[in-house]
Amino acid sequence: MTAAALHAPLRRRSRLGRKIRIAAGVFACIVFLFPVFWMVLSSFKEQRDIFTVPPTLVFTPTLETYVSYMQRADISRRLINTVIVATGSGLLSIVAGAMAGYALARIRLRGAGTIGVLILLSRGVPPIALAVPMFLVARSLGVTDMHITLILAYCTFLIPYVMWLMRGFFLALPKELEESAMIDGCSRFGAFFKIIVPISMPGLLSTMIFSMILAWEELLFALVLTNRYASTIPVAIAGIAGDTVNGANWGALTAVGTITVIPVVVFALLVQKWLIQGLADGATKG
Amino acid sequence: MSTVTATGVRAARARAWTKLADVASRWAFMGPAAVILGAMLAYPIFYTIEISFSRFDLMTFGAVEWIGFENYAHVLDDYRFWSSMKVTLVYLVFALPLQIVLGFGIAFLINADWRGRGTVRALFIIPMVVAPVVAGGIWRMILDPLWGIMNWAIGLAGFGPLDWFGDPNLAMAAIVIIDTWRWTPFVVLIATAALLSLPRDIFEAAEIDGAGWWSMLWSITLPLLVPIIAATFVVRWLGAVKMFDIALAATYGGPGGATNVINLFIYEEAFRSLRFAESAAMAVIVLVLTMVLTGLFLLGTRKLEQRY
Repeated sequence: MTAAALHAPLRRRSRLGRKIRIAAGVFACIVFLFPVFWMVLSSFKEQRDIFTVPPTLVFTPTLETYVSYMQRADISRRLINTVIVATGSGLLSIVAGAMAGYALARIRLRGAGTIGVLILLSRGVPPIALAVPMFLVARSLGVTDMHITLILAYCTFLIPYVMWLMRGFFLALPKELEESAMIDGCSRFGAFFKIIVPISMPGLLSTMIFSMILAWEELLFALVLTNRYASTIPVAIAGIAGDTVNGANWGALTAVGTITVIPVVVFALLVQKWLIQGLADGATKG
Repeated sequence: MSTVTATGVRAARARAWTKLADVASRWAFMGPAAVILGAMLAYPIFYTIEISFSRFDLMTFGAVEWIGFENYAHVLDDYRFWSSMKVTLVYLVFALPLQIVLGFGIAFLINADWRGRGTVRALFIIPMVVAPVVAGGIWRMILDPLWGIMNWAIGLAGFGPLDWFGDPNLAMAAIVIIDTWRWTPFVVLIATAALLSLPRDIFEAAEIDGAGWWSMLWSITLPLLVPIIAATFVVRWLGAVKMFDIALAATYGGPGGATNVINLFIYEEAFRSLRFAESAAMAVIVLVLTMVLTGLFLLGTRKLEQRY
């Protein structure tokens, strides 16, 4: 009784503190979402509604920018290119990365420790140190401006990422799974593809989706390795944002930006639980 | 293995063969990743190193002649290289601590136990998946000196319009703000997961002992979080040294090189000025510095993990 009485004012204070905490958290969330909201809102404005002081909140929405810009700057082709490259590099890196991650987690390899350290270090390689030689080699082989070149280039950062995440994932699985399968006559490959892969499907899918998001957003390699046919959306956005000759084309910027962001947001929210888990693992185990 | 049925009756040769096949099947898992990373990651690094020690011929587009450290000497003499390194350092020194502190702070706020917690956390994913180049673009619009909503809001608060992209210091501030906007949610998500995984009973015990929230934060939560904070710092560092997209889209290194981070500078030198040899030398310098610092940070993280 006395203890409860002693704690009463403290608890009331902490209840108020909790309310303040919640309010501050929601406020922070709104602040962080505002730029995205402002982009989407502006993309439905006409030019004269964009350039106003004070900023317009009420206006007649129009799809004008979308329609005119989709026709003008081969945005649709770049969109298709981005989808091809993101899907291709996502698939390639999940297959190669998951197999290698499994090898690191489960198969005793001589030098596995060294490989682990190399993977960690490879995450520190600045892409610009790769972009210069990649460009020169691609040019001499005549493979610039091709999807496959970009897909392979993206694998340089996606495969180490997938390897590391999946390694942690496989380490957490009980070892008896594939051991019993291998006693039943499965080869190591059989055990991996028939037992491990189906069990790990959710982890594999979410890792792949996250890889695809990373590929979808990549700018440097796309700038360097493509120019017309395989060029991606981020290159277009960099072009619009940096266009100082025609002045600020905010309509185009917001419209193309919205098109780029919406599918990624949908995918990310679909796999949010796995995404958060993956991030936490990537940070603590990597 | 299906060959196990032989049950050791076969000769030593067959056993050696089995062992070889076993080793091969083990390494086969590594195969695809090793081939791709060898060709696309290891080889380019060696090629960059070769170019950095060579004279680069623009006619044949290749390294023609070994010239030792000449390219490096040129680079180290170039004041633009040093100013770009300084810009990168300033960006890192401001952006990284800001993002870690804000990220863990916001995570602490939104982890209050209430119904909307999951939704708020999910919403924080959204800025995190906005492509950095798009982030640079939108913020260029928001911070526009004449028409941007930021200067309008600052004006409401009674402050004069700020020339975000004309003033060197403000341009750097803009880059740090944009980067912080894009990456703090990432820290928030890691931090919320970390906070949720903290053992509850310690806090309950401390509360019974009459500890206030401040002393609990200071002497329980923070020490428990130190390893995660360190790990998050390393992950953010690995991302931040690659800073390129936001600077390119928002300021293109301007005004007068005030936000010309090293990756952007090397990119410009290589692909606009076609100085491939010097760019390669700079890339190697950045590569070595990054590797050394990353190694040190990883060691530091291990040390911290052992201590706490």
